[in-house]
Amino acid sequence: MLERGLEEKTFWLNLGPQHPSTHGVLRVLLEMDGEYIVKAEPVIGYGHRGHEHMAENRNYHQFLPNMGRVDYLHALAFNQCYCMAVEKLMGIKVPERAEYIRVITAEMNRLTSHFLWVGAYLMDLGAFTPFLYCFDDRENILDLLDRLTGSRLTYCFYRFGGVPVDLDDEFIAGTRAFIQRLRRRWVDYDNLVTKNIIFIKRTKDVGVITKEQCVQYGLTGPMVRGSGIPYDIRKSEPYSAYPEFDFEIPIGENGDVFDRYIVRMREMEQSLRIIEQALNRLPEGPIMAEKVPKRLKPAAGEVYQAVETARGEFGCYIVSQGDIKPYRIKLRVPSFANLSILPEASVDNLVADVVAILGSMDVVVPEIDR
Amino acid sequence: MLSDTIQKTLASLNLEKVAAGDYGKTGYHVEAAAQPDQMPAVAQTMLDLGCFLESLTALDLKESFTLVYHFANFDQLCRTVVHASLAKTAQAPTISHIYAGADWYEREVYDLFGIRFAGHPDLKRILLPEDADFHPLLKDFGATQENA
Repeated sequence: MLERGLEEKTFWLNLGPQHPSTHGVLRVLLEMDGEYIVKAEPVIGYGHRGHEHMAENRNYHQFLPNMGRVDYLHALAFNQCYCMAVEKLMGIKVPERAEYIRVITAEMNRLTSHFLWVGAYLMDLGAFTPFLYCFDDRENILDLLDRLTGSRLTYCFYRFGGVPVDLDDEFIAGTRAFIQRLRRRWVDYDNLVTKNIIFIKRTKDVGVITKEQCVQYGLTGPMVRGSGIPYDIRKSEPYSAYPEFDFEIPIGENGDVFDRYIVRMREMEQSLRIIEQALNRLPEGPIMAEKVPKRLKPAAGEVYQAVETARGEFGCYIVSQGDIKPYRIKLRVPSFANLSILPEASVDNLVADVVAILGSMDVVVPEIDR
Repeated sequence: MLSDTIQKTLASLNLEKVAAGDYGKTGYHVEAAAQPDQMPAVAQTMLDLGCFLESLTALDLKESFTLVYHFANFDQLCRTVVHASLAKTAQAPTISHIYAGADWYEREVYDLFGIRFAGHPDLKRILLPEDADFHPLLKDFGATQENA
């Protein structure tokens, strides 16, 4: 075990900013005693682009494309949250069909985000093959979304009041085929990863996060669900068309790295259920609200809107002073709070486990930096 | 109902305002206003009620700042917002010893607005470079005028 009072024997190690396991430019300054961590300090801000400052210098429409660039892995959830916040501020009612299309596409985007995480995370742990499986499956969704939205990653698909493009038969048929295909793949993932003894040894009982810590740090998403708290904004603060679908919130028991992996895998199955139900019950009707003003000038006031992204709660806090530009937009991003627990979670762990813990948080660094 | 409990408990702290929020319009169940000095007591109360700190940010209202604290709960849907008006030159007390997550949020507010939190263990820049000499979310920060 680690003996305290031996500070003169410790040394500093830089994990990042160009380390493959930090997924973007994140630097973690580690004070090491041999292979053990004495202190870890994440250094963030390398990708700070000033989105919140940009928001104050643009009108509401002009800020919309920024949302796809905050969290580029689950861009549609960020689109949705910002659109919903502005719609709330303006009192715009979104047609039901548009809400369904938003749910379908946002869930597909959640799948791509989780697939990228699973693949990249296992690569961090030294497994190369799952990465190829994940990217194969992910590519299917990207093709479908690309056809619909025109982009593969930094989507800007939703509009205030609805969506600009309707689903066509080819999209629906393609999505149904993809759901069937993916359901047959879970067995492969289970055999390849979940039952893999090396993976289990690397992740069981590593980086345990307690429920108290979740409250202390304000963690959200798979981080809290892995620790056994069934907190998912799609259920606990239902928005869009989510109340109409039947799905479960998978939770873990121990709050370790393995549980966070399991939660994400089970969550993907639930996303498929949501997409399937939405396709089956897709209502007819318009996809855009009528009479959305070209120039948005909301009355003075403030609004807070939260959605569940692949990483946890994204909150959009808008303050309007009755101008065509927002007075202030605060982006409450999930990874910021989720990463802030890293110093506490990594102390007294091996440096190799810190890679496993950091990876299990599924941080998207540009989202933290904004 | 949790929102009633929160309102009742916060009311006992003699805050400037504690009222039910218009959830459909703003997303808040409880709206409160406090002096910055009361925030550690408010935070402790919210923690005791099992709420977590959802976000902490500030507004530059030109004559003064407003600190905005959002609290939410894992078990019950209840979002509480607390506004605390702060004079431009004043410091606010930290709540990082109550909510560990507030450590980074307060650093972010300091970084972007230049607001100092008394008692914060390590108040330094978080998003901007260490040697930056500006606070970009202040309304008199350069680019605001240029792009107007």
